[in-house]
Amino acid sequence: MTMPVPLPAVTSVTRQLSRRSVFEALLHRSPISRADLAKVTGLSKQTMSEVIDAFGQQGLVRQVGRTSGNVGRTAVLYELSPEGGHVLGIDLGARRLTVALADIAGRVLAEADEPTDSRGGAWALDQIARLSDRLARDNHTHPSRIRSIVLATPGVVNPKSGAIEMAPNITGLGHLNVVGLLSEKLGNPVIIENDINLALLGEIWHGCAQNVANVAFLALGSGVGLGLYANGQLVRGENGAAGEIGYLPLGGDPLQAESRLQGCLEYQVGATGVLRRYREAGGSEVDSVIQVFERAQVGDPIASQVLDETARLTGLAAAAVIAMVDPQLIVLGGSVGARPDFADQVARVLLQLSPRPVEIRTSTLGRRAGVVGALSVALSRLHDAFFGVSELAAALPLPPPAHRTARQ
Amino acid sequence: MADASGQIVAELTEPTDPRGAAHVAEQIAACAGKLAQAVGMEGTRARHVMVGLPGAIDLRTGRVSLAPNIPGLENFDILGFLRDHFGPDAAIDNDVNLAMLGERAFGCASQCRNAAFLALGTGVGLGLLIDDRLFRGASGSAGEIADLPIGRDPASQIPPTSGAFELEVGSFAIVDRYRRQGGTAAATVREIFSRLEQGDAVAESVLDTTAHWVALAVVSLQSLLDLELVVFGGSIGVRPELYERVQRALPALFPRPVTIAPSRLGDRAGLVGAAWAAAQAMRRNTAPAQ
Repeated sequence: MTMPVPLPAVTSVTRQLSRRSVFEALLHRSPISRADLAKVTGLSKQTMSEVIDAFGQQGLVRQVGRTSGNVGRTAVLYELSPEGGHVLGIDLGARRLTVALADIAGRVLAEADEPTDSRGGAWALDQIARLSDRLARDNHTHPSRIRSIVLATPGVVNPKSGAIEMAPNITGLGHLNVVGLLSEKLGNPVIIENDINLALLGEIWHGCAQNVANVAFLALGSGVGLGLYANGQLVRGENGAAGEIGYLPLGGDPLQAESRLQGCLEYQVGATGVLRRYREAGGSEVDSVIQVFERAQVGDPIASQVLDETARLTGLAAAAVIAMVDPQLIVLGGSVGARPDFADQVARVLLQLSPRPVEIRTSTLGRRAGVVGALSVALSRLHDAFFGVSELAAALPLPPPAHRTARQ
Repeated sequence: MADASGQIVAELTEPTDPRGAAHVAEQIAACAGKLAQAVGMEGTRARHVMVGLPGAIDLRTGRVSLAPNIPGLENFDILGFLRDHFGPDAAIDNDVNLAMLGERAFGCASQCRNAAFLALGTGVGLGLLIDDRLFRGASGSAGEIADLPIGRDPASQIPPTSGAFELEVGSFAIVDRYRRQGGTAAATVREIFSRLEQGDAVAESVLDTTAHWVALAVVSLQSLLDLELVVFGGSIGVRPELYERVQRALPALFPRPVTIAPSRLGDRAGLVGAAWAAAQAMRRNTAPAQ
C-alpha cells in the first residue's frame, strides 16, 4: 500500500488559520490573484507570498494565467491544483454500484456505475475495488493521490462499533468487517455512512436543498427511510438509527408479525408492499413498482387505487415528520419518491393531513444523490485533514456546483 | 428564584389568571416582586428571567403560537412586556422544552444527550434534546406531538384537525372514552385512576387503550429520532398505571429496546428547567471575555 504524502505539521494555530483562510478563498473564488487573496483574507502581502509558496511546494495551487484589461501590470491568477489530492465517493445500492472521483476543489472528474454483484458480501467489496481502480486509472490518477473515501450503504452504521446493521437488501454484509476489508483493498481508510443521510447531503451540496438549514429527505423505493439535517448537522440518534421510519406505526396493524419484522409502514409502502397490495386487490401480474405506475397511466383502476394509498401513507409519514421535527423543506427521493407525479400527489395529500404543510421538492440528483453526498463528506474530510483547526468547530464550507460532471 | 448554579432558593405558586395574556403578564411581574420581598430583596429585580409558556415559540420573533390554553397569548407581545419589566435578558421558552432541560440538569436524564420529555395531561407536549441541545426545528414547532397523525384520522375534518394525537389521549379524550364505554359519570382522569384501584373494568380498558396510543407515539418518536430515554411527565404521564402499561406494550411494537421513565421532578420539571436556563444565561453573560 502506498502511503499518502505526509500532511504538514501544525506549527502554530495562527499560521494554520492563515493557511485555512487562503485555502477557503481559493476554494470559493478561483481563479484569483495574490493581491485579491490578500484583500479577501485580510492577510499581509508578505504572509500571502509565504502561504502561496508553501501551497505551491505541496502541489496545492497552480497558476492559470494572468489578469487582463486592467491598467498597469498584469497579475498571476491562481487556482487549487487537482494535484492537491483526490477523493472517492461510492454508493453501494442493492441494485447499482456507483463510484465518483473528484479533486480537492470539488470538481467531479468522473463517475461510473454497474449493477451490484448479486452475490453480495465479499464479491461486492471486490467489485468496489475493481471499479474504483478503473475509474482512477482512466483519469490518470494514481491511487496514492486519493486521500479520502466515503462509502454510502443502506442500513444503520453504528457510530460506536462502525458495523453495518439492518441492511437486508445486500446479502452477506452483516458478517463482514466492511470498513477494515475495504480500507485494505483501496489502500486508504474508508468512512461508511448511511445512504439516505448521504443522499440528503448530496441534495444540500449540489441538489435541491442548497442553503436550507433544516431539511428532511424522505426516500421511497425498495424500502422507506428518512435523513434529517437540522441546524447544519445530520441527526443520527443515539445508535445511528434516527430516520428508520419503516417502523412508523402507519398504514396497518402495528401488532401483526410482519410489522414487527419489517416495520409497519415499510410493509405497506416498500416495493414488495406495493406489489403485494396490487396483487391482493386483484391486479394483474407485475414485477416492479414502475409497472404499477405504467398500469395506472393506461387507466388500470386497481393500480391507481394502490398508488393513491401509497401516496396517502407517504403523506402521513411526512405529517409525522413535520409534527416531530419541523423541517423547512421535505425532499422526496428514491426510485418511487423522486417521481414528480408521485410527489405532486403526496403534496396534495399533505394539505389534507397536516395543519402545517411544508414545501415538498423532488430530488434533483435522483440516483446520483448518494454518491454526490459521499463526495461532499470525503471532500470535507480532506479539507479538514489539511486545514482543520481543533479550536474551530465548523467545517470549511464546500464550493457550490460550478462544474459540470463528466459522465462515463 | 434560583442561585447562580440554577438551584431553586425560593418559590411561589398561584392559580394562573384566567382573564388572559395581559393579566398573566402582570401576574408574573407581581409574583417576581412578592418573591423578592419574601427573600428580603425588595427593590432589586432579577435580571435573568426565563418564562416557560404552553405554546410553540419562534425564538427569532418571540411570537407564540399553538397556545390555546392562555387566551390572547398568541396576539400579545409577552417577550416585549417581560423585557420592559425585567430588562433585555428576560427570555421565554416552551414549557415542555424547559421541563426537558430540568430533567437533563437535575432529574432522570442527567446522563443523556438524546432524550425527550413527553408531557401528558390536559394536552400533550414534547420537549426534545438532540446531541445535548434543545431541538426546536425550523420554526420553533419541533415536538408538536399533538399533531402526530396517529389516533384520530387527521383527514376526517377539513381543514385538517390540529392535534390528531391529542384528540385521542388528552384528558378530555380519556374521560369521554370512559363514558362512551359505559363507565358511570366520571368528571376527571383522577377519578378514573382511583376507580382503577377499585377494580373498575371500564377504567382498566380505557387506560389500556390510552396506553396503546401513547406507545404508538413513542414508537414514532424512536423510529424518527432514536433516543436514549423518553421521560414521561404531566399529570397523566407520571402515573405508574399509565407508563407501566406503555412499557409493557412497547416490545411488541418495536424491534429495539426503548427506555421510558417517569419524570423525577414531576410537575416542577418546567420550573426547575426555567431556573437552570436563566442561571445558564447569567453565567454566559458574566463570563470573562476570552
